Amino acid sequence: MPAVPLIPADVRARLKNLRLRARHGAGGDGLGQHQSRSRGAGLEFAQYRAYEPGDEPRRIDWKLYARSDRFFVRESERDSPLTLWLVIDASASMVQADAARRDWRKLDAAKTLAACAIELALRQGDRFGLVTLGASGPKLVAADAGARHRDRCMLELDRIDAAGEWPPEIALRPLWERVRASALVLVLSDFFDDAPVDLALRFAAARREVLTVQMLGADERDFPFAGGHRFVDPEGGAERRVEAGAVRDDFLARFASARANLARRFAAAGIRHAEYFLDTPPDRPLAQFFGAAERSAA
Amino acid sequence: MSLALLAPFGLAALAALAIPIAIHLVRRIELQTTEFAALRWIAERIRPRRRLRFERPWLLLLRLALLALVALLLAKPIIDEPAIAAHSRVLVAPGADLSAARAAVSIAGAEWRWLAPGFPSIESPVPSASAPIASLMREADADLPRDAKLAIVVPGQLAGLDGERPLLAHEIEWHVVPGRMSDEAGATSAKLALAVRYVPASAPALKYLGAAAAALEADGSAHFALDVATQDAALPDANTALLWLGSEPSPAVRTWIESGGTAIADHASRATGAPVWRDAEGHVLARVEPLGRGRLVTLESALLPQTMPALLDAEFPRYLLALVQGEPPAPTRAPASALTPAHEHSVSTTPTASRAMPKPLDMWLIFAIATLILVERIVATRSEARA
Repeated sequence: MPAVPLIPADVRARLKNLRLRARHGAGGDGLGQHQSRSRGAGLEFAQYRAYEPGDEPRRIDWKLYARSDRFFVRESERDSPLTLWLVIDASASMVQADAARRDWRKLDAAKTLAACAIELALRQGDRFGLVTLGASGPKLVAADAGARHRDRCMLELDRIDAAGEWPPEIALRPLWERVRASALVLVLSDFFDDAPVDLALRFAAARREVLTVQMLGADERDFPFAGGHRFVDPEGGAERRVEAGAVRDDFLARFASARANLARRFAAAGIRHAEYFLDTPPDRPLAQFFGAAERSAA
Repeated sequence: MSLALLAPFGLAALAALAIPIAIHLVRRIELQTTEFAALRWIAERIRPRRRLRFERPWLLLLRLALLALVALLLAKPIIDEPAIAAHSRVLVAPGADLSAARAAVSIAGAEWRWLAPGFPSIESPVPSASAPIASLMREADADLPRDAKLAIVVPGQLAGLDGERPLLAHEIEWHVVPGRMSDEAGATSAKLALAVRYVPASAPALKYLGAAAAALEADGSAHFALDVATQDAALPDANTALLWLGSEPSPAVRTWIESGGTAIADHASRATGAPVWRDAEGHVLARVEPLGRGRLVTLESALLPQTMPALLDAEFPRYLLALVQGEPPAPTRAPASALTPAHEHSVSTTPTASRAMPKPLDMWLIFAIATLILVERIVATRSEARA
């Protein structure tokens, strides 16, 4: 167990109000709490369809047969479990932390966010899987349900360290085999590179329901630097020597426009997007996605 | 109390202040390294500014102070504190009536002293030795701070003057009270020895010379010791003036003059030298020329009534005395009322504004420099250890 629990107590308390929801029906097998596109035995009427050989005779609507002299099978919507995939960017840029709080890196915030989402999924009996994209290529923990699987994922989360760059395209192929269509994909990244953005967009285009959280530092939002600074990119090692106070306004404007641009692209692809700042509670993006406000709006 | 520099050019060593400044000057871009993933949105066009900064400013200040003190030491500073406070002083010349002086002077709180060498207090007995009064006045004037008042009480007749009216920096209160200076120096009449060597042709002049000597004797202004002989007599000693009448000075006489004597000759083939005696019409009657260490006065014509009418003049004894004595001594006596010291602003009293010895500050400076060196070493090594 990590010395510091992944989910702080107050965050865990607030998770009670949240409930994972997919916008579209879940497509998984088995019984769950989510609306499903799969039909079958259920409470909620869905449709009639013509009888096909092999259908159970008890599912034939006999009253309708009496009226129409044809066999119809009454189908109901089946509630299915959801599959939640957590995609964590573990490239080197995620080690960044605010100057005010050095030990709270973007990666730590992403881990906490992921743990919260896992807790939500576990509570609802949903399946969840974990993908870490870092220097050593994608690391997968296959989707499953249950408390033991939760522990497995927590252990893996604890093991993650951010290093290296986003893995190349070819290394991401196994993802497509595992992350099935209509799964809920939560991508946690800073989205400074195009590769994570591309991945999210392609997931969305391929009928995965994608949620993105852009992990941002408060320093990036406020740019509280002054004087001569040498900014070093943790990923790639590029550096920029500037007079921080003088470039502040320009940076803020450009960064805001970049963020707005990203949000626009995600919105166009039907991706629900949230920004997370390191100085805000880590469950805020989840509350934004799954909270009461979101539910009433949906 | 003022600070003065004996060697102001020592301050040129202040130029050395540039050395520690140059050492401590850090001219570099100070950059704080920050991990920042979003740096691609930072514009690069604004370069960091160079900042002038001093490393360890306290150490620099110490070193600057040290160098400044060394430069000051090289400039040899002195400090002079006026020992004499700026209060007024009343000087009473010996001989002046003290009670009359007290009545005349009305400066409150003034310091009363005798106008005598060392300026003894007025309580001390009256200094008897008559001294050069004018010189003492100048000394008192120079001793006193500029803003102090100076009053001088003198008797009606002053002695011990030096022929020049005192020119003082202070505004002098000049009080003349009844009294008399006991001045042996002024009263001493010239005691002269005159040796006359003549040829018989000049014998008629002798009686006029005798008359002149008697006149001077009677006047009290000189006492003549006449030694009259013909020219073949021996020459007198060098202190005695020689009147060589009737012929040109022989080589023996010239030798005598050159060894320091004064001679008056009335037979001159050539008239050289500066005129010392003119008659009422302005004709030159006598010329003087230096000869060796002595003086040769040459009369234009023979010392006979027919060739030199001035011989019969009533003023002749005085002229004779002047010729024998050379330059008349400056008057040493004068009525006090005529001798009010002139006030002169331009008389500089600054160098000697006070008699107090200017104190050199070298010891203090060396002590301060040593202390500073110690402190500098401590600060330097400590901050090095810390760094």
